[in-house]
Amino acid sequence: MAMVMDLDFSNFTYSGTTTTTSTTTTTSTDDGCNWNNWSPLIDWEALSGDQEDFHTLIDSMIDHNVVLQNSTWPNTQEEYNSLSPEYTIMSTDDETNSPDDFKGLRLIHLLMAAAEALGGGNNKCRELAKVILVRLKELVSPNDGTNMERLAAYFTDALEGLLNGVSGGGKHVLGGGHHYKDEHHQSDVLAAFQLLQDMSPYVKFGHFTANQAILEVVTHDKRVHIVDYDIMEGVQWASLMQALVSRKDGPPTPHLRITALSRAGSGRRSFSTVQETGRRLTAFAASIGQPFSFHQCRLDTDETFRPSSLKLVRGEALIINCMLHLPHFSYRAPDSITSFLSMSKTLNPRLITLVEEEIGSTSDDGGFVGRFMDSLHQYSAMYDSLEVGFPMQGRARALVERVFLGPQIAGSLARIYRSRADEEWCSWGKWLSEVGFQPMNISFANHCQAKLLLGLYNDGYRVEELSSNKLVLGWKSRRLLSASIWTCQDI
Amino acid sequence: MTIEESEPNSSSDHILGLIEESISYFPTFFDDPYDTGDFSGDSWWAHTQNLEQELINTNTSPNSFTTNTTTTTPTPTVSIVSDQSQLLDLQKKRKLPDDLNPKEPRKAPRKPTANKKGNKNSAANNNNAGNNKEGRWAEQLLNPCAAAITARNPSRVQHFLYVLHDLASLNGDANHRLAFHGLRALTHHLSTAPGTGFSSSTSGNNFGSSNPKFFRDSLIKFNDINPWFRIPNNVANTSILQILGEQTNQTNLHILDVGVSHGVQWPTLLEELTRLAGGPPPLVRLTVVSPPTNDTPFANGPPNYDFSSKLLGFAEKMNINLQINKLENFHLQNLNSQVINSSPEETLVICAQFRLHNLNHSNPDERTEFLRVLRNLQPKGVILSENNTDCSCGNCGDFATGFSRRVECLWRFLDSTSAAYKGRESDERRMMEAEAAKVLINVGEMNERKEKWCERMKSAGFKGELFGEETIDGAKALLRKYDGNWEIRVEEKDGCVGLWWKGQPVSFCSLWKMEFRV
Repeated sequence: MAMVMDLDFSNFTYSGTTTTTSTTTTTSTDDGCNWNNWSPLIDWEALSGDQEDFHTLIDSMIDHNVVLQNSTWPNTQEEYNSLSPEYTIMSTDDETNSPDDFKGLRLIHLLMAAAEALGGGNNKCRELAKVILVRLKELVSPNDGTNMERLAAYFTDALEGLLNGVSGGGKHVLGGGHHYKDEHHQSDVLAAFQLLQDMSPYVKFGHFTANQAILEVVTHDKRVHIVDYDIMEGVQWASLMQALVSRKDGPPTPHLRITALSRAGSGRRSFSTVQETGRRLTAFAASIGQPFSFHQCRLDTDETFRPSSLKLVRGEALIINCMLHLPHFSYRAPDSITSFLSMSKTLNPRLITLVEEEIGSTSDDGGFVGRFMDSLHQYSAMYDSLEVGFPMQGRARALVERVFLGPQIAGSLARIYRSRADEEWCSWGKWLSEVGFQPMNISFANHCQAKLLLGLYNDGYRVEELSSNKLVLGWKSRRLLSASIWTCQDI
Repeated sequence: MTIEESEPNSSSDHILGLIEESISYFPTFFDDPYDTGDFSGDSWWAHTQNLEQELINTNTSPNSFTTNTTTTTPTPTVSIVSDQSQLLDLQKKRKLPDDLNPKEPRKAPRKPTANKKGNKNSAANNNNAGNNKEGRWAEQLLNPCAAAITARNPSRVQHFLYVLHDLASLNGDANHRLAFHGLRALTHHLSTAPGTGFSSSTSGNNFGSSNPKFFRDSLIKFNDINPWFRIPNNVANTSILQILGEQTNQTNLHILDVGVSHGVQWPTLLEELTRLAGGPPPLVRLTVVSPPTNDTPFANGPPNYDFSSKLLGFAEKMNINLQINKLENFHLQNLNSQVINSSPEETLVICAQFRLHNLNHSNPDERTEFLRVLRNLQPKGVILSENNTDCSCGNCGDFATGFSRRVECLWRFLDSTSAAYKGRESDERRMMEAEAAKVLINVGEMNERKEKWCERMKSAGFKGELFGEETIDGAKALLRKYDGNWEIRVEEKDGCVGLWWKGQPVSFCSLWKMEFRV
């Protein structure tokens, strides 16, 4: 079981004192207007909660009637008196975590207001957005503070990117989100990836569920061909090869061919990265005796997929692998994904494996702000889960946040900012079923495997079978990632 | 395939192997990781940061964040001591206890001063944020919050309160200040039962809580840099002279002061009176009507403030026979000839400035009633100055509508004050702004547009009178010393003199005489 934990952190003795979060009190110099003097009318009792659970605060904000109890609004004269400047609202010293929660709430409100100011569609509120972001930058830093403060720092940066992006007048400035590889040293990326794998089950959940489905459909095949939309470091295939060669009593190990799509857009860099991944996979396959060949297939400059550029061999079991939105993945333009999936259909693949983020139900009709809040909710759950995964490893977490989550937040916000309210917001799974892909049943074994995997991590994770072809990984009440399997052939 | 055979258990060692094999430059992080305990001094940390820095520098990714947002650091409080001492000098030289530059209208056009230079700059800077509402972000929070209150949507209200709280400040630009006062008013509204009075102790350092000397100095200083009251005062004074000049015989002058000038308006007039061809009137009577303490902005001075002795002393030096009669805590409705002790022989001029909008304008209509009272006093002239804006009372619109109008009024004041004080912080500025902020909570903020006022005056038995050329030229000349965003617009239709800030009407002055119907 411990094998899933690739890197054993028990070797490292780490003095946790350096990560003690120090919440600085508001540096408000205004006479008469700082938090301690008088304050919005809030039912503080209702808001004090578990600090680590701050995403429940967002929950409660999305649910419109929870935060402010009816009893406090409209207020009585007595409450007015209690708001006089002499009254100290932060008198709840016995609850040591309430200032953090309080600041967390403030941050959420400020972020939401900034999103509202930006999402209005007109330029009227740009100044407001700017002022709010300036304030947020005074309050938070991505490198220290509570979970919520660090998360807010990344959201602030992302919103600032949107604000500055639109100032040029064109939406195109936003580009394709952040390609972390362009901004971080390769060693940082790999270190962060390793940490991410150890801290949370997100990556493995996607890979293992997809791989298990692949193993189940190629049991009797001699040749297997996997077309991978985004191969990244190729970690997924190492584990698949390992599984293929270790099948007991089964048929001989099939020949595995992997075609990785590479992007022409970012030039040789991407091509060579994929090439390097292929070299590594080839070496690994050789070391364990897995018959293997590796190919690249370039996407067009606009990242569309042409099946004609794909080399197909008769008799191969064709698998389409589409990993999206894993925490360490780069942003991919929807048009590119659409072209890949729809063109894949013409190839009549036996299996399509899809991993994507789960979007909250509140984002359906909320426009930019609704989607923004959903995104905040989603990442807050992820931050919480990472914090619980490595409670004392602030530095490790910070690296993961800086290398993966920060850029991904920026990419997510850019995406939801550009898609206007009138555009339909549907998951890729829904899209697949609409264009005629058939759902395939997730096996019992696959489901159990996912449960076993989560058992290695903290209690907060859970897996649900949302439909017969889809497993969803969640943190506490929030669904985060789903893996679904599909086919184009008659079952 | 059974679960035990599935690949996670059997392959993960190799995943690690794969990664470790392939990365020869794997960070020292993993070799020498968490045992130092020294976060900031860790070499790998610094190393990677440097690397990141380099990458960002050489990389022209369109998505790399550029932080070009300017931080709004509050301007350090710069005292205006130099200006004040200059003022004091002037006071000594001219021996004017209250008003400072009585000759100003005559001296126009003034030589360019440092003040004027600053005005030009600020005019250029502020024009963008003026009429287009883009720069006025505080209203984009205050008005939706008021709307949410009206819509009884507590979670939205709370949201805006949170955000306002984080952005409100008594320092900084007009928006931060507006957010501060607006938040305060909203909190007040939410926490008091409807109709409950507002205790002035909670409204900060306004007129009522100020030291009398500080109050007077600040008001004089304000009038020197912001024409908000100065222009209406000036128009009133020259109009009084005009009315006096129209009388066939030299008579006593009786001024009924229903205003907010707290005496600082009158020294100028007294000085002008000495210049009249036939000398000053034999007797100048000043009847000052002070309201009971309420929330009308600028109406109530500090409790122990008394300008009478200074003004009397000044009049004496000018050889003017001045009588001052004060009606304290006086309800306007109780006014009549006996109370002010007027006589048909004297020239009675009524000077009503920024006070009458506090009278109920409907249900019951105390306003028209009061104008009839004025008519019954048989004045030789009435100068009416009022805010040229819509009503904010509960009968004329819901809370959100009224509140947005109040906020708009206060914005103009704060915006113009920001220009007047050139962004500098001072206690004087804070007092003036806190007093102006009463507009947000004053239940009597029942303004009407100029046209409506004119209608009322006519129905009460007055007829509109054109201001004299000298009055208008004098006001225009005086305005030149103020910020370039101010302007005077004379309405051809009704002859009113309008004071405008950044293309928006602020107040109007009008001159009335009794209509004798045949």
